[in-house]
Amino acid sequence: MATEKTYYTIDPEGKLTCMKCKVPLRKGNAKFMYLDNGFPVELPVCPKCGFVYVPEELALGKVLSVEKALEDK
Amino acid sequence: MIIKERQSTHVYRQKQLFSKEELEARESLCVHEQPAYCNAACPLKLDTKAMVAAIASGDFSKALQLYEKITPFPYILSALCEAPCEGKCKLCTLGEGVSVRELEAAALCYGERAKKKGLLRKKAKKAAIFGADLFSVFLAGELAKKMYPVTVYCSQSDAADLVAECIPELPAAAKEATVADLKKADIKFEFSTDPASAYAETVEKYDLIGASYSVAQQLYPGLTVDETVMVYREQKLLTGKTEGVLDAAFAAKKAALSADRLAQNLDPSNTRGEEGSVETRLYTNTGGVEASNRIRITDRESAVAEASRCIQCHCDECIKGCVYLQHYKKFPRILTREIYNNVSIIMGDHMMNRPINACSLCGQCSILCPNGYDMAEICKLARENMVYTDKMSLAVHEFALMDMVFSNEEAFLCRKQPGFDTCKYVFFPGCQATAIAPATVRAAYLDLCNRLEGGVALMLGCCGAICDWAGRYEMQEDTVKFLDEKLAQLGSPVIIAGCPTCKKELSRHETIGIWDVLETVGLPEKAKRMDRPIAIHDACGARGDSQTQDAIRRIAEQMGCTVEATEYDRDKSPCCGYGGLTQYTNKEVAKKMTDKCLERSDLPYLSYCMACRDRFAREGRESMHLLELVYGTSADHCPDISEKRYNRLSLKNQLLGEVWNEDVEEVDLGFTIDYTTEAIEMMDDRMILKTDVIRVLQNLKETGEAILDGETGLCVTRARLGNVTFWVKYTETETGYLVHRAYSHRMTIQTR
Ligand SMILES: [Zn+2]
Repeated sequence: MATEKTYYTIDPEGKLTCMKCKVPLRKGNAKFMYLDNGFPVELPVCPKCGFVYVPEELALGKVLSVEKALEDK
Repeated sequence: MIIKERQSTHVYRQKQLFSKEELEARESLCVHEQPAYCNAACPLKLDTKAMVAAIASGDFSKALQLYEKITPFPYILSALCEAPCEGKCKLCTLGEGVSVRELEAAALCYGERAKKKGLLRKKAKKAAIFGADLFSVFLAGELAKKMYPVTVYCSQSDAADLVAECIPELPAAAKEATVADLKKADIKFEFSTDPASAYAETVEKYDLIGASYSVAQQLYPGLTVDETVMVYREQKLLTGKTEGVLDAAFAAKKAALSADRLAQNLDPSNTRGEEGSVETRLYTNTGGVEASNRIRITDRESAVAEASRCIQCHCDECIKGCVYLQHYKKFPRILTREIYNNVSIIMGDHMMNRPINACSLCGQCSILCPNGYDMAEICKLARENMVYTDKMSLAVHEFALMDMVFSNEEAFLCRKQPGFDTCKYVFFPGCQATAIAPATVRAAYLDLCNRLEGGVALMLGCCGAICDWAGRYEMQEDTVKFLDEKLAQLGSPVIIAGCPTCKKELSRHETIGIWDVLETVGLPEKAKRMDRPIAIHDACGARGDSQTQDAIRRIAEQMGCTVEATEYDRDKSPCCGYGGLTQYTNKEVAKKMTDKCLERSDLPYLSYCMACRDRFAREGRESMHLLELVYGTSADHCPDISEKRYNRLSLKNQLLGEVWNEDVEEVDLGFTIDYTTEAIEMMDDRMILKTDVIRVLQNLKETGEAILDGETGLCVTRARLGNVTFWVKYTETETGYLVHRAYSHRMTIQTR
């Protein structure tokens, strides 16, 4: 994997709150993995417990299309 | 049970699908690309079919272009060709064949001749032809077409004299046109010359020499010509004896090809390729074609009309019936080759994975194809190959496979009829019947227990077709073992299958269909009469099983139905879209398959596979399963994916209580879950089960992990269940949760 190129970035802009830790989510470094392939991304992450939020649009958009592409490799 | 996902996209394991020889043997069964009968019959290789099509469309110039490709002197040929194509015309088997030769003449009459290409450079090797006969005139024309400078030495005084002597039978108009052609042709004539003397004087000046047969005999008495190449080999002389116009034209073509070889100092036999007429293995269905007679051609319109009689012979028997082949716009030979190549790709994109997984494996092609081409077998082998080489992603089939695991674990039931130590029979209704019509299954089982002697056990589960279709051969072996053990425990009873696919899948044991039993013991009393016409959709599981097909029809008639035959019935039946797991792998193709089934008739559909009945009803067509008809149970409900699981489980629990007096305790979640209508529809579309949502919310209870979206006011939580992460958007209610949305992905996510 090339050194930490970021494939996708979302900034929560304070709209999301971790219900467990009662703190706002922040833009944080995360990584998708599928079939032994990794994709660094920046997603809303809880700074305390590390919950990574995958928004619906991302899951059904970019994530799904990358999944499908890898499934045919 | 969790099915293992493939490890990595970087595993390089390979296995040939089958040998090159087998590939070729399979491919050769497809005659789609075989030449039409008329084309095959023509030694000059005229694309007759295309020429006739051009005339049928009114394009005489295009027709003429095709015709001029094969001869330098089209007026001679169109007037006098023996036209073996006409005798081979498929229409001759019905009435009169197409008048190809007259259409050729019509093309000359109404088409515009191609402009002479002026830019081609003359070849360096020079040719001379001594003496004129039909062969040598054609040869001069062929060599001129090939851009050899050609000189003809002949005794005739001019072109008109030459044509009159060489082709006396040519009609006047054609004669005149041919004289014009000769004058226009790039051929130098030395008229009023004695060819033999000219030969003696000038032969040394030329590289390629041809002669009329009489001059050749005069020069070399007793010469023998190799007629495969039209060469008197000792003198490298292009000549030979011919009979008739077509023979002369063909001989000239052969000789002209020999000239090319001789010009390169090669043996004339060298690499000539296929020459002359060929045998064709084409199959053409003349069903629906009416016998007709030739139309006398007197003008453009009558020529178009005569050409329009041509049925453009071709074979697309499989494609006509198969939506899958139509969707990918490929006939089996090409598809097989591409699948074969796909399997050999070690790294990179496998473009054919989707087509491989979209076939319904129904086997219709093997029936429709005159040579039995079995695309289903090839797709199935390819799937097994992908599983073996770890190229089959679980994603494509996981839902169906987990559904099968559910059928054979949580919802599995195997019990003897109460009061019997061994049972003579076991009823195996199949996973789709229990999922879609549990009340029908219950009624059928109770009826069998009542009316059959010797005890009827019950086995609710999956026959193994699902993993078989998915190419998961190891899972299938396990399923076979599992079911066989259970059957042995029951005392190896005769299996009464409720589904033709189960019947086929379980045929290693003595298996009959419930329809066979109903014919033997008679229909139950409350079987409702249905005095109306219906169409029967034959199940692909019953392909080749005429006994079952007949039994279904007899029962339907007993119930007062008038069975109307449809196109593609019985062995030719198309798949409803469920077979081969197409419903899961390619919704678009599956939908087209269902539509294809339904377009055959406007009548209500009677089927004997619950998956077919479900897919038809889902498209809004009145459809019922034979057992729904027999047991008078409702046939109008289409359960969603969650209900299908719930139905199986609750049928099991209901029968356990009702027949075996075993009460099953309901599990109390400790909270309630409600769904918005939008959520229900979304989940069915996204293949997310209510049980998945329950587990996500149970995880929420345990961990408290969720986030609040301030913008929408919805809470979002997630859990990884097996190979999939499920997300649920919810709001809290007094007693639990209201689910608004749900989605999933297969990738895992972690912080870094
Ligand atoms: Zn947190």
